[in-house]
Amino acid sequence: MAYEGQERATGIATVPPVVGPGYTPRSVNEKISAIVLTHPTSRGWLVGFGISFLLLLLLLYSVVYLFAVGLGIWGINQPVGWGFDIINFVWWIGIGHAGTLISAILLLLRQEWRTSINRFAEAMTLFAVACAGIFPLIHLGRPWFFYWLLPYPNVMGMWPQFRSPLVWDVFAVSTYATVSLLFWYVGLIPDLAALRDRSRSRVGRVLYGMLAMGWRGSARHWARYQTAYLLLAGLATPLVVSVHTVVSFDFAVGIIPGWHATIFPPYFVAGAIFAGFAMVLLIAIPLRKFYQLEDFITLRHLDNMAKVLLATGLVVAYGYMMETFMAWYSGSPYEHYAVITNRMTGPYAPLYWGLILCNVVTPQLLWSRRARVNVPLLFGVALVVSVGMWLERFMIIVMSLHRDFLPSAWGMYYPTVWDYTTYIGTIGLFLSLLFLFVRFLPMISIFEMQELVAEEEHGAPRRAATETAPAAEAVRVSG
Amino acid sequence: MNTPEPVSLRLTFFQRRAWLVGVAGLLVGAMGLVLNPAQFFRSYLFAYLFWLSIAVGCAAIVMIYHLVGGAWGFVIRRILEAATRTLPVLAVLFIPLLFGLSFLYVWARPEAVAADPLLQHKSVYLNVPFFLLRAVLYFAVWIGIAHFLHKWSLAQDRTGDPTLARRLETLSGPGLVLYGGAVTFAAVDWAMSLDPHWFSTIYGILWIVGQVLTALAFAILVLRLLARQEPFVQVLTPSHFHDLGNLLLAFVMLWAYVSFAQFLLMWSGNLTEEIPWYIRRLHGGWQEVGIVLITYHFALPFVLLLIRRVKQSPLVLAALAAGVLVMRLIDVYWFIAPEFHPTVGGALHLSDALLLVGIGGVWVGRFVGQLQKLPMLPLRDPQEEAVVARPETA
Repeated sequence: MAYEGQERATGIATVPPVVGPGYTPRSVNEKISAIVLTHPTSRGWLVGFGISFLLLLLLLYSVVYLFAVGLGIWGINQPVGWGFDIINFVWWIGIGHAGTLISAILLLLRQEWRTSINRFAEAMTLFAVACAGIFPLIHLGRPWFFYWLLPYPNVMGMWPQFRSPLVWDVFAVSTYATVSLLFWYVGLIPDLAALRDRSRSRVGRVLYGMLAMGWRGSARHWARYQTAYLLLAGLATPLVVSVHTVVSFDFAVGIIPGWHATIFPPYFVAGAIFAGFAMVLLIAIPLRKFYQLEDFITLRHLDNMAKVLLATGLVVAYGYMMETFMAWYSGSPYEHYAVITNRMTGPYAPLYWGLILCNVVTPQLLWSRRARVNVPLLFGVALVVSVGMWLERFMIIVMSLHRDFLPSAWGMYYPTVWDYTTYIGTIGLFLSLLFLFVRFLPMISIFEMQELVAEEEHGAPRRAATETAPAAEAVRVSG
Repeated sequence: MNTPEPVSLRLTFFQRRAWLVGVAGLLVGAMGLVLNPAQFFRSYLFAYLFWLSIAVGCAAIVMIYHLVGGAWGFVIRRILEAATRTLPVLAVLFIPLLFGLSFLYVWARPEAVAADPLLQHKSVYLNVPFFLLRAVLYFAVWIGIAHFLHKWSLAQDRTGDPTLARRLETLSGPGLVLYGGAVTFAAVDWAMSLDPHWFSTIYGILWIVGQVLTALAFAILVLRLLARQEPFVQVLTPSHFHDLGNLLLAFVMLWAYVSFAQFLLMWSGNLTEEIPWYIRRLHGGWQEVGIVLITYHFALPFVLLLIRRVKQSPLVLAALAAGVLVMRLIDVYWFIAPEFHPTVGGALHLSDALLLVGIGGVWVGRFVGQLQKLPMLPLRDPQEEAVVARPETA
C-alpha cells in the first residue's frame, strides 16, 4: 500500500526498470518456459555440464579414496586439525545464505526487484548447502557413524554433547536445508504447472504434472498458496541468521585467540550474505547473457546486489577492524600475537593481506555507481570477493590453530592434492546441479514476473507482495 | 497541509515547561556535586548517555531512510531531524563530564595507572588528551552529519530540487560508516573503559543497536502524540504504524541477538579477562535487573509486536514504544551502574533521577523547539507522492 509505485517514483530517470519494456504476461511465460521446453540443448550447455560432471566424478573419486584410506590423505594433523574440510564447509554454507535472504527477507521487506533473481538464488542455496553438508560428514574419522550426532534413544545409552556447538550445527544446518528446500519447491509449484501445460512431450507432461501436485490455479489454490509461502518466508527468516550464527559459535565458543571474539555471530552472518551475494552475481551475470535475460535481470538488479555487497562488505571490514583493535586494546599477549603479529607478519601473512585486498579494498569500487552497472567489472569484484571469503575462513581456521599458546606446539598446515581435489570436486557438484537446474526448471519465477508485468501494463497499484490475493488470476494461469 | 503550521501553543507551552523542569533538575542535581561528587558524575554519565542515544540514533535512522526510502521514514523524518538538531546542546552538556574524568575512569588517575601494567599498555589510547580529542571528533562527525541532513532537507522544502534527494543519499552512505565508527569508539571510551581491563568486540554494535532502538521508540511515541495535529491527521494511516512496528520488532530482536551473543560467548568461555563484567551484573540484585531486561526488553515486546493489531493501533504501539524506552533506560543503567556499585540497592541514588530529568528536560525543550522550526512533514520529498496515501487531499 504505502510502498506502491515507490520504485516508479524514486527514479524514473536515474534507475533502470525491474523489467524491460514491451512484455506481456504471455510473452514472459513463453520466454522463460521456452528455455526449458523448446530451446534445443545448446553446445555451450553440453560442454559446461560435461566439465562440471567430470569434476563431480573427481569428488566421488576423492571421497571413495578417503573412505578407503582414511583422513591421513589430507593435510590435517596436529596442531591444525581443521583444514580445507572446515574452510570449505563454512565457505559453502556462507554462499548458501543469499538465496533465502533474497527470497524470504526481501519478500517480507516488499522489495519487488527480488522477483527475477529469487528462484535461481534459492536453487543456488540448496546446492551450496548440499556441498557444505558433505564436508563435516567426510571429515568424521568414521563417517558411517554420522547418525551418532542425532539425539535418539539407543542401546549405548549415549546422547550427543548438547553443550557442543558442533551438535547445534547439525540441527541448524539440517533445519536450514529442509526449510530452504520446502520454500524453493513451494515457490516452484505454479511454474511446474505452467510447464506441464505447455510441454509438448508426454514425458514432460507426466513429470512436471506429478511435481505440480495437481495445481489448477484456482482462486482457492492461490489464496492458500500465498499463505503458505508467506508462512515459510517467516519461518526461513530467522534461519538465515541462525545458521551462520551457530557456525560462528563453532569457533567463538572455543577459547582460542583468533576464535573467541564476541563479534563473531553478526560478523559471520554479514560475511555469509557478502559471499552469497557475490555468488548470486557470479551466476546471474553469465545466465542473463547466455539466455538473453537482460530484460528480466536488469542493471537495476545488478546495481542493488552490488549495494548489498558493499554494505555487507563494510560490516565484514568493521569486524576485522574491531578484532584487530581489541586484540591490541585487550593487552593480552596471546590475542595480540594471534590476531595481529601472526596474521600480519607470520608465515601466512600473504594470505592475510590478500584477504584484506579482496574483502576490504576491492569492494570499495562499488561506491561508484558506474562501477555497479559495469557488468564485467562487477563480475570481477564478485569473483574477488568469493576468493576473499575463502581466504577469510583460512585465516580464521588455520592461522588461529597453527600457533597456539606454546611455541613448542607450533606447526604448519600444508594441504595435499586430495584437499584440492575434494574442494574442486564440490565445485563440480555445485555446477552440475546448477546446469541441470537451468535446463529442466524455470530459472526465473514465471508467475511472479507475470504479476509484475501485468501490473506495469495495467498501471494497477502493486499490492504488497505480502498481501497479494489472486488478483491477476487470469494472466497467471498459463496455457 | 503545505503551510508551515506554527504548531499549537501547546507545544510552545510544553517546550517552556521542559526547559524549566530541565534547568531545575540540573540545578538541584548540581548540589550533588558538592555533597557527593563521585556519585554526581556517575549519575550524569548514565543520564547523558541515555539522552545522547536518542539524538545519535535518530541521525542513523534518517540516513537509513535516505538510502532505502519508505513511507515509515517520510512520516517521522522531521521528528528525527529535530532530534539530531539537539546534538550541539548535547555537545555542551558533555563538558561537565570532563571535570569528573578521574572520578569515573580508573585510567584517568595517574596513581592507578602507575600501579597497573595493563593500564600503562592502554595509556597510548586511554589518556585524557587523546580522550578529549576523540570526543571532539565524535561530535564533529555527528554534528556535521546532522548539519547537512538538516540543511539539505530545508533546501528541499524550499526548492524541491531533485538533486538534493540524490545528495542526501550520497551523504548517507559514507555518513553511516562514519556514524558507526564514531559510536563504536565513543562507546569504548565513555562506557567500556569504565572497566579498563574488560573488552568485547561486539560492544560497539550493542550500542549502535541500542541507540537506534531508543530513537525508533522515541519517534513512534512522538508521532503518536502528534497524530491528532495537522498535518499528520490527514496523512497517517494504520499502515504507517504497522511498518514502524515491524521496524521496532526487528530492532528488539537485533538487540536480543547481539546481547545474547555476547553473553553466551563470555559465559561459556568463562575467561578471567572477560567474565568479571557479567559477574558484576549477575550478583547483588543486578541479575534481577537482567531478568527484567530479558522479559520486558525482549520477550514481551517481541510477542506483542508479532500481532498485527498491536502494530496497527497507534495507541497500543505508542504505549509499547514507551515501554521500550523505559527498558532502554534500564539497559543503559545496567551497563553503567554495576561498574560502580556491587548491589542495586547501593546504586540507586536521587541524583540519577534528578539528572535524568535535568538533562532530559533541557533536551526535550531543545527538541520541541527544533520540531517547530520546520513543517512537520517534508514539503517536497520526492517520495511524498508515492509513499503517502492521502484520503482527502488529492
